[in-house]
Amino acid sequence: MEWDWNFVWQIMPTMLQGVKITIIATLLGSALAAVIGLVIALLRRSPNRIVSRSVGFAAEFIRGTPLLVQLYFIFYVLPDIGILLSPLVAGVIGLGLHYGTYTAEVYRAGIDNVPRGQWEAAKACNLGPTQTWTHIIMPQAIPPMIPALANYFIAMFKETPLLSAITVLELMNQAKSIANSNYRYIEPITLVGAFFLVISLCSVFLLRWLERRYGRIES
Amino acid sequence: MNVKRLIAGTAGLAMLASFAAAVPASADKLEDLKAQGFARVAIANEPPFTAVAADGKVSGAAPDVAREVFKRLGVEDIVASISEYGAMIPGLQAGRHDVVTAGLFMKPERCAAVAYSEPVLCDAEALLVKKGNPKGFKSYQDIANDQTATVGAPGGGTEEKLALDAGVPRDRVIVVPDGQSGLKMVQDGRIDAYSLPVLSINALVQQANDPNLEVIAPVEGAPVYCDGAAFKKGDEALRDAFDVELAKLKESGEFAKLIEPYGFSAAAAMSTTREKLCAAQ
Repeated sequence: MEWDWNFVWQIMPTMLQGVKITIIATLLGSALAAVIGLVIALLRRSPNRIVSRSVGFAAEFIRGTPLLVQLYFIFYVLPDIGILLSPLVAGVIGLGLHYGTYTAEVYRAGIDNVPRGQWEAAKACNLGPTQTWTHIIMPQAIPPMIPALANYFIAMFKETPLLSAITVLELMNQAKSIANSNYRYIEPITLVGAFFLVISLCSVFLLRWLERRYGRIES
Repeated sequence: MNVKRLIAGTAGLAMLASFAAAVPASADKLEDLKAQGFARVAIANEPPFTAVAADGKVSGAAPDVAREVFKRLGVEDIVASISEYGAMIPGLQAGRHDVVTAGLFMKPERCAAVAYSEPVLCDAEALLVKKGNPKGFKSYQDIANDQTATVGAPGGGTEEKLALDAGVPRDRVIVVPDGQSGLKMVQDGRIDAYSLPVLSINALVQQANDPNLEVIAPVEGAPVYCDGAAFKKGDEALRDAFDVELAKLKESGEFAKLIEPYGFSAAAAMSTTREKLCAAQ
């Protein structure tokens, strides 16, 4: 086993292609997870029992089954009922749905943490439900959630290699196909680790900054 | 006290070192396998080359031949682990398997990486497409020429390489994890063609029993390939012993009895040699 720099430079363009797909999948997946999580959290608070119970059940179901199983289902089973998604779209939906159920819990905790008096004050000021949510509750609920949400987004980023199971040519899959034709694992797999580390560290800095900038409740 | 500990520690280390050295140092791999009672083989679960039944029993033409040859060499049984094609040679080099018996076709670059036995299973390449072959594929070249066509192939398999060599760009060669997925992807229209050896595609289509599929075989311009049992470089002695028993099997006609029920031609394997196949481009 010897490290070969020439081989590293030779495979670098292919690996960078993989990095691109990995980042795209993570960004789209995070955006989707943030939205889906909010929707789930709000619907679970619905006064309508049927809505809150069925959404709660669906969320627990998704949260309680492995992401890999869900990806296989979306990619290989849904075409049977006429839903044919491209690999990347299927992967982003899988990631977004799965992590959406996690982020829903973060939203729930954040919303529950807004003191009861704030709801009552909103009511006393004669604010409607939409105004209460957008002007009173959310601005206080979201800042404390940022670190927890960021945590899930970094976790999601590191789970993107699962997408290789549904033929998305992301970083891990590119590395595997390089190893397949060159019979060498050491360079491609080390590079995969290095890329993930570098991107994770950069995003940690970015998220810290976000936290500092927006993580305070403005009074 | 400290000195005593130091001495004890050094002695322990020395013992460990000698033990560690003792395992790979025994030169005769065959004797090791005999003592162990089994050989570890890598397979792919791609009938009829290699197959794992629902109860876990390993069959398929390649493991059957290997089991028989190893039995004659005094190694009681084979233990198989399923692997991707691309991971087989690295796995062999890392010492995870003793031999690869998976229909890993002999090609010059593979011959350079492993020590092949004499040819065992020969087959041509085929394409699985939708009924009526809507895009009119006859060869990998046709796929390359059609700007929108995609082809599926096992990662690190011969077909992936053939498609790439024919000029199909990387993003149109889809790495498919297993045969069932490939079939499903053709049915769903995710890929326009799925490429495997003829007998594998036939076995797959027979299982699926779907009238909307069609097999194009053989693929024009792709030669007939033969596989061999692949050993680690350095295990040539074991390979040579394997070859001797394999030659006896071929001569006695038992070889044909083993592989012909699976649809393979014994004559094809016997008409060529490792030397020719490894030199072929």
